[in-house]
Amino acid sequence: MKILVCIKQVPQKDAPLKLNESGSWIREDVSYEVNEPDAYALEEALRQKEKNGGEVVVVTAGPARAQQVLREALAKGADRAIHLEGDEFVRLDPASTAKAIAAAVKSENFDLIFTGLQSDDYGYAQTGVLLAEVLGWPHSTIILHIAKEGDGLKLKRELESGYFQDMEMPLPAVLTIQSGGNKLRYATLMGIKQAKNKPMTKLGWADVASAVGKNGLKIERLYIPVKQKRTETIDGPPAEVARKLVDKMRNEMRIL
Amino acid sequence: MQSFRKPLAGVDHPQMDADVVIVGGGPAGLACALRLSQLIDEHNAKHPDAPLSKENINVLEKAREAGQHCLSGALLDPRSMRELLPGFEKEAPLDAVVQKEGVYFLTEKSKWKFPITPPPLRDHGNHVISINRFTKWLAKKVEDAGVTIFTGFAGSELLLNDENVVGIRTDDKGVDKNNQPKSNFEPGYDVHSRITILAEGARGSLTKQLINRFDLQANRNPQTYGVGVKELWEIPEGRVAKGEVIYTLGWPLTRAEYGGSWIYGIDGRQISLGLVLGLDYKDPRTDPHHALQSFKKHPFIAKLLEGGKVVRYGAKTLPYGGWFSIPPLAGDGWMMIGDSAGFLNSQRLKGIHLAIKSGMLAAEAAYRALVAGKFDAAHLNEYPKAVENSWIKKELWPVRNFHQGFEKGFLHGLFHAGLQQLTGGRGLHKKYPSHPDYEQMERIEKFPREDTSRAAIIGPARREGTLTFDKITDVYYSGTKHEEDQPSHLIIHDTNICNQRCVREYGNPCQNFCPANVYEMVENSESPGARQIHLNPSNCVHCKTCDIMDPYQIITWVPPEGGGGPNYDGM
Repeated sequence: MKILVCIKQVPQKDAPLKLNESGSWIREDVSYEVNEPDAYALEEALRQKEKNGGEVVVVTAGPARAQQVLREALAKGADRAIHLEGDEFVRLDPASTAKAIAAAVKSENFDLIFTGLQSDDYGYAQTGVLLAEVLGWPHSTIILHIAKEGDGLKLKRELESGYFQDMEMPLPAVLTIQSGGNKLRYATLMGIKQAKNKPMTKLGWADVASAVGKNGLKIERLYIPVKQKRTETIDGPPAEVARKLVDKMRNEMRIL
Repeated sequence: MQSFRKPLAGVDHPQMDADVVIVGGGPAGLACALRLSQLIDEHNAKHPDAPLSKENINVLEKAREAGQHCLSGALLDPRSMRELLPGFEKEAPLDAVVQKEGVYFLTEKSKWKFPITPPPLRDHGNHVISINRFTKWLAKKVEDAGVTIFTGFAGSELLLNDENVVGIRTDDKGVDKNNQPKSNFEPGYDVHSRITILAEGARGSLTKQLINRFDLQANRNPQTYGVGVKELWEIPEGRVAKGEVIYTLGWPLTRAEYGGSWIYGIDGRQISLGLVLGLDYKDPRTDPHHALQSFKKHPFIAKLLEGGKVVRYGAKTLPYGGWFSIPPLAGDGWMMIGDSAGFLNSQRLKGIHLAIKSGMLAAEAAYRALVAGKFDAAHLNEYPKAVENSWIKKELWPVRNFHQGFEKGFLHGLFHAGLQQLTGGRGLHKKYPSHPDYEQMERIEKFPREDTSRAAIIGPARREGTLTFDKITDVYYSGTKHEEDQPSHLIIHDTNICNQRCVREYGNPCQNFCPANVYEMVENSESPGARQIHLNPSNCVHCKTCDIMDPYQIITWVPPEGGGGPNYDGM
């Protein structure tokens, strides 16, 4: 199978974030890492390749620094990489990102496209699904297990409250992969060395601009929630206090 | 029951060959790699028929990214960088040129300004830098030059063949809490290298193995250390100018401790603030993190910080021993550079420029060895010879006895420092003796509980929340992260000593000297009332203080799974 894995570079999860001057995004002086859910998508792709053969290609859209996530993927065993390189890709909405990726890979004839469940920075969980829509492919989300069966796939996806769904799906398809299903492999010294000689295709904004169109989403303002503290005393006989408290928890605080 | 990291038995280690492996991607290791790359480029231009390859020159760095474990004030004396990359000032991330200096002596409530800045603390012409950003920049230069930096890989063992160092083994990855391989287990590589260059920073773990194996510290002073604790702050504009340097002596330290504090103005808003404490202190209750918190409470400092907020925290040891503590720098198949070797001027409190220069000189020796195809001590000793003849020695020789003069306290130290200044560094003795730091620590019974002269630096700091923090809060600001499911990389060889002897004799000073709350004494579940040692290895900021300071020398710091550790972004 020929599998494409979409990988995003995100600010490191535990990094203390600071807002930029205009309050439109965080300051860039943080360290970045592979979006963790995408690392699970890559892991699943590499395991599929080990089982069924084929090729694993990784793609990212982002500035020069984002190349690091591709290099890490190549070191772990991906065969080649595609870098949509440019600052224009940084704050694209998920639909535009999906269009850009679709335009970049449409000539490739992939059997499968994997993405992580969502990104650790925006957390939209949309890009993979929209990518399927742009390509006109079926998709499924939160996938835990994948087995190739004849011309199609047998999948297990996670639902709420401990329920799972078994399903079948034709190829080609887009799947968003649940995190934690596999243990992530480590890059090895030899893998890192070999990654240097693996092909990396670079595309710029100009190569996909016509397919992307207008960015539909703009962040107006980002702010750190103001800490608020309010104390209220409920008086009355215990039974009534309890009833009022439950009412408040249910209807005002919405924690019940 | 805690398991300690140990080599797994019966594991096949994959092999890799290298010409040169540099362990540690800090300023020393990266300067070494870059200089070597330059020499190879020159060589290949001159001898296109017999080119040398850079493919097998490797830098290993335990951090996830180069620079993430680098911590310093930092002021950079540009001397060696000018030699390595003339005109580097134009492109390197330098925050400010030092514009203004002030040295103060603090008492608890007031300050006294030195009428002049003592010459060793004059920093005009030096740059305020973030050593994290500087190292990242240097790492990019190295990679662009064609040398591979393997980030997330630590050197865990030296490979020896009789008296020769023949390479290193990298860390095993994917080992669980009980020293069992996980499903993603990846054994460490045996990197067989013709030359192994140790650039691990202060108290390097392979360096320690090497020094012990070949008894390299014989006939030399033992290495002594200080620990630096630092916070990066953002404060309202106009209080500390860009390029302003403030040094303080005195409070919260007493005359029994060696150390001081600094504030550097980075850009008008960000400041670097920290305290260095010589680890030759005597009171086992001394807590360097507490000392930093107290320093911030001084009215002079608190006023500067008011309305500001902390951005980062970190801690790291630095070698103070000076010239007489530097071990032999080369042997069969190996060399040692930077803080690992002890290249630091303890009078000026600067070592980055010396680390870089030592790396460059080692690179020159490595290059000549590669051309000659000979890697024995005779060839690699070109490097120590070059150090002898370089400005490194010219700078370190006059201050060779500086720190040792302070062994008996601050006033003794000033006397000796003055005398040394007059006698070209000699002072009263040709070679001032010194002792390992842990031997200086005295038993807890010598320090009565009610003795409050050291109240500002002993025991845990109280957290107030905006100006002062407890260790846990500061550890959060260090960005430290490790794989949780792995054995402890802080190895205590006999925990009975902690639980039975140390508790009585020294009061478990590990709880105090560790600036990251790794060591805790907790209620013993089996015998009520008794306490036992408990480790939080995930908090470790890789400062190595425990390895240096524990009075029984039963703690060994080994690298945890590669990639783990602090995240010193912007530090």
